[in-house]
Amino acid sequence: MAVNKEELKQKILEFATKKAAHKSKMYIKDLYKADPNAKPREVKNAANELVREGKLEFFSSGSTVMYGVPGFGKTTEEAFE
Amino acid sequence: MADVKKHDTPMVDDLKKGPWPSFADDIEEKGLSGKQECLDLLGQLELSFKHKETHWKHGGIVGVFGYGGGVIGRYSDVPDMFPSIAHFHTIRVNQPASKFYNSKFLRKLCDLWDHRGSGMTNFHGSTGDMVLLGTKTEELEPVFYDLTHQMGCDLGGSGSNLRTPSCCVGKARCEYACIDTQEICYDLTQTFQDELHRPAFPYKFKFKVSGCPNDCVAAIARSCCSIIGTWRDDIRIDQDAVKAYMAGELKPNAGAHSDKDWGAFDIQKEVIDLCPSQCMKMEDGELKINNRECVRCMHCINTMPEALRPGTDTGATILCGAKAPILEGAQMSTLVIPFIKMEPPYDEFKDFVDKVWEWWMEEGKNRERLGELIQRKSLQEFLRIAELKPIPQMVKEPRSNPYVFWGEDEVEGGWKRDVKAFRARHAA
Ligand code: SF4
Ligand code: SF4
Repeated sequence: MAVNKEELKQKILEFATKKAAHKSKMYIKDLYKADPNAKPREVKNAANELVREGKLEFFSSGSTVMYGVPGFGKTTEEAFE
Repeated sequence: MADVKKHDTPMVDDLKKGPWPSFADDIEEKGLSGKQECLDLLGQLELSFKHKETHWKHGGIVGVFGYGGGVIGRYSDVPDMFPSIAHFHTIRVNQPASKFYNSKFLRKLCDLWDHRGSGMTNFHGSTGDMVLLGTKTEELEPVFYDLTHQMGCDLGGSGSNLRTPSCCVGKARCEYACIDTQEICYDLTQTFQDELHRPAFPYKFKFKVSGCPNDCVAAIARSCCSIIGTWRDDIRIDQDAVKAYMAGELKPNAGAHSDKDWGAFDIQKEVIDLCPSQCMKMEDGELKINNRECVRCMHCINTMPEALRPGTDTGATILCGAKAPILEGAQMSTLVIPFIKMEPPYDEFKDFVDKVWEWWMEEGKNRERLGELIQRKSLQEFLRIAELKPIPQMVKEPRSNPYVFWGEDEVEGGWKRDVKAFRARHAA
């Protein structure tokens, strides 16, 4: 079922922000739960748009990439500096 | 000499004593030419040897805007001792198909990297990328800008993304190529830009393209989706050239093993007897091949390249699921499509890829490669989602790896057959 992209983005952002309070980094798979009706690719595209808008951010370990909410949790940069 | 400080590194220096050139020499030379990063790197390595543990931390929100891959953050955990490598990020740069460069390009890249990074590179990473080793966070965007605006290249893949596709030299230099590997590699790179630069998957995904079953990029061992050129008609035979090989007029293996005297070329011993499917023979002075039985191993063609050539009805074999992990054993790709025509725009192949990705994105666990998912869920399930028919080639030997099972709806009477009545007729 096709999902409205703006609605989906809103849901992802709410879901991620709620989750970020206790777990600041999440896998793309975790974000699927934001809207069970959305297809994985729709979630991926919406989440990537949120990154472009600066509302989510990427966190890369080199082998995997996770999503974070800016301002939540320590960024590795800060942690290491 | 430039104002740099060399650390005391007795254990690292020991590495220079062996018979082969050592990275320690190279890095030190670069350092003494004015790169403190290189000398700090060796200093930290010495410390790691002493402590028997790494002093690197990796990961973080480093990257260029909008990209979720291509940069691998690295930080020293002893920055006070080695301040020039407090940040030491790696940048992966998408290599051109088949890794063709001209020296102007390489010079420019080296100048760029001397200016904005440590000057150290690794050509190439195991995925194929050019790897630029070591720079600071604030240099990332400028490097990216120069790469894209001045050099006409892009970052490669890292993280849970499509990794940079790679291919063999293919038709550019190799007469065995059955498919245009460079064109395929470039097309996949362009088509899947989003997957390459932004995290899309449970884990990494790799395409590798080899032009023939010699598989020079080791696609079968290292890629989630291996595309290997093949042919479905007959091996082309030039009987006169066969005779020339037998008469010693042509050198077998194009002279590759001629540094030692192996005696006269013996077609029976060196080709026919070594054919894995025993499908060749000499008859009335002519070489005959039962092409139906040929498994495209390439041995006969490699041995007598002037006499034998792949057929002309060419395409690719698609295999899925290889990985070379650190913890569990390596796994080779499994054959899934014996033959597919690979011609632009490759729609049939891309349809297949879409189905596979959709399944993997839905079912794959975090950090689970496609090969592991196929193992966990069964090849049968994989074939179902990819809408492929099981074929005998998918089974290594009868009964040894029964990947393909019957479903209840495929068996007469289903699972509810009366076992007692069956046993009345057949002893256990
Ligand atoms: S894989 Fe085959 S076509 Fe490609 S370079 Fe090797 S021998 Fe040539
Ligand atoms: S390619 Fe291999 S299997 Fe085929 S005929 Fe030659 S040696 Fe035999």
